[in-house]
Amino acid sequence: MATQSEYVIETEGLKKSFGEQVAVDGVDLRVPRGSAFGYLGPNGAGKTTLIRMLLGLTRPSAGTMRVRGRTMPKERSQALARVGAIVEEPGFHKHLSGRENLWIAAAAREPAAHLRIDAVLERVGLTDRADDHVSTYSQGMRQRLGIARCLLSDPELLILDEPTNGLDPGGIQEFRALVRSWIAEGRTLVLSSHLLDEVEKICDHVAIVDRGRIVAQGSLSELSAGDDGAITIACDDPGKALGAIHGNGSLREVEEIASGLRVLLRPEASLEKVAAELNRQLVGAGIAVYRLEPSHVSLEHRFLEITRRLGGDS
Amino acid sequence: MTNPESAVQVPRSLRMPFRLERAELLKLRKSYGVWIPTALLTVGAMVVMYTAIELFHLSNSSKYGPAGGTLNFERATFLMGQLAGMIAAALVGAAAGTQDLSSGVFRDLVSTGRSRARLFLARIPGGLALLLPFVAVAYAVAAVSSVVLAGGLATPSITLFVKTGLWVLLSAGIVYAVALGLGSLVGSRAATISILIAYLLPVQAIIRNITVLGRARDGLLSVAVERLSPVPPPDPHDVVAMSLSTSLIVLALWIGIGLGVGLWRTQARDA
Repeated sequence: MATQSEYVIETEGLKKSFGEQVAVDGVDLRVPRGSAFGYLGPNGAGKTTLIRMLLGLTRPSAGTMRVRGRTMPKERSQALARVGAIVEEPGFHKHLSGRENLWIAAAAREPAAHLRIDAVLERVGLTDRADDHVSTYSQGMRQRLGIARCLLSDPELLILDEPTNGLDPGGIQEFRALVRSWIAEGRTLVLSSHLLDEVEKICDHVAIVDRGRIVAQGSLSELSAGDDGAITIACDDPGKALGAIHGNGSLREVEEIASGLRVLLRPEASLEKVAAELNRQLVGAGIAVYRLEPSHVSLEHRFLEITRRLGGDS
Repeated sequence: MTNPESAVQVPRSLRMPFRLERAELLKLRKSYGVWIPTALLTVGAMVVMYTAIELFHLSNSSKYGPAGGTLNFERATFLMGQLAGMIAAALVGAAAGTQDLSSGVFRDLVSTGRSRARLFLARIPGGLALLLPFVAVAYAVAAVSSVVLAGGLATPSITLFVKTGLWVLLSAGIVYAVALGLGSLVGSRAATISILIAYLLPVQAIIRNITVLGRARDGLLSVAVERLSPVPPPDPHDVVAMSLSTSLIVLALWIGIGLGVGLWRTQARDA
């Protein structure tokens, strides 16, 4: 019997080894129901292997997992009945039309899935090409057809592995709009990606994974809470500016960038006060300041920081 | 998103049975690489055989007899049951066992939560639904030709028609099951077809002629199928004698082991 847990995915000590190689190493993952969850990691971090275990495509070496409150793989049929997924590149029978491919996918689902074929084709904008062979589709169209296939089960949970691969900028924009509409409908999204910017734009919860281990997990605001602030300075003489602010005790790190400087603040420093102070210092030194842009350290910066640190430890 | 627990009203027209089996048939019947060779090896082979014999007969009736009659019918059904039909069955079975894997669709089907065993078992009727109609039409061509083109020759009896009809269907079905299982095990259509054609053509022929192997030759698929044939083989010296019960056991083992390994691999395979 399923329990309506706060989490749509829960794993505990999940591990997958291929011989000596450990792809997923003791992962404890909690995906809140109704969230847009980013599963972030560099290539080879074990993201796809984790997804494959969650979908019953491969068996874990150790650990437990529950999907929609059901134990996997024991209750996989009920657990996955309302899960839509794209793992790596979606596969199709290329000699069949898009509609026929959806018909085949619907045959493996509940009978009502057949009723959704027209609606999902419409939703991903493939109605006009639905009866053409998939062999004539562009990669972006195949990706959209893969998304349509996910929607056949009216999914409560969508798991997408690198879904923007092969999409052009227009397609990426459309994809983001589509994802936002799913989330608005109350579906849970798990987006696995190495594109940090993509995750930052779409997701509200994130887990950062490296070498099979989760190194940080939580909501975006939680992950940013401990961050130092940052200020981007655009000025006419970055070299001189570097000397002018040298010795400012509120700064932890200063780096030159193309248009000026980027400074990272110490945790106790106030972003606004330091910005004002830097402005005074720079103007006082005769430097023309074009722009001072306070911001929080991006997820990308944090992600790179974590993986760099891990790299240094090894 | 609809309520997960609410029952969805599906129109009666969509409450169709055998949806997975129909999906398997759809994949195969839309594949030119599957149904065209199958049609050529079954219906095409019979049409070519009877046309050629009849043309010879028309060109020189004193030397060549009519295309119809019992003898030519027996040869035709033997050709179908022991050669062309078997190869057609191997082609269809190999495609049915590998097409989801080679297209990458297997992973998506498994991730629906459907039982892997159910996905595998749907391929049995799905593929037979394509193969057996071709075999049946080919058989019908042979049966009709044996009567229409008989000239003054004796025509096959109704009993012979029924028995040979069932035998060619059985022969194709058995090879289909073996090919399906092997395809699901190996995962490569080309490799499956190569292995089966090599076995069905030269390897079996060589082994059955190594007389020192004695009863070990009973395990050959063609020998066991031949034992059930209602018509004598074209070459009576090429017969490996075996009992009916042995033949049935051997065929059951071929089917059981073939489908068993296919089912096991489908369930154990990383998708």
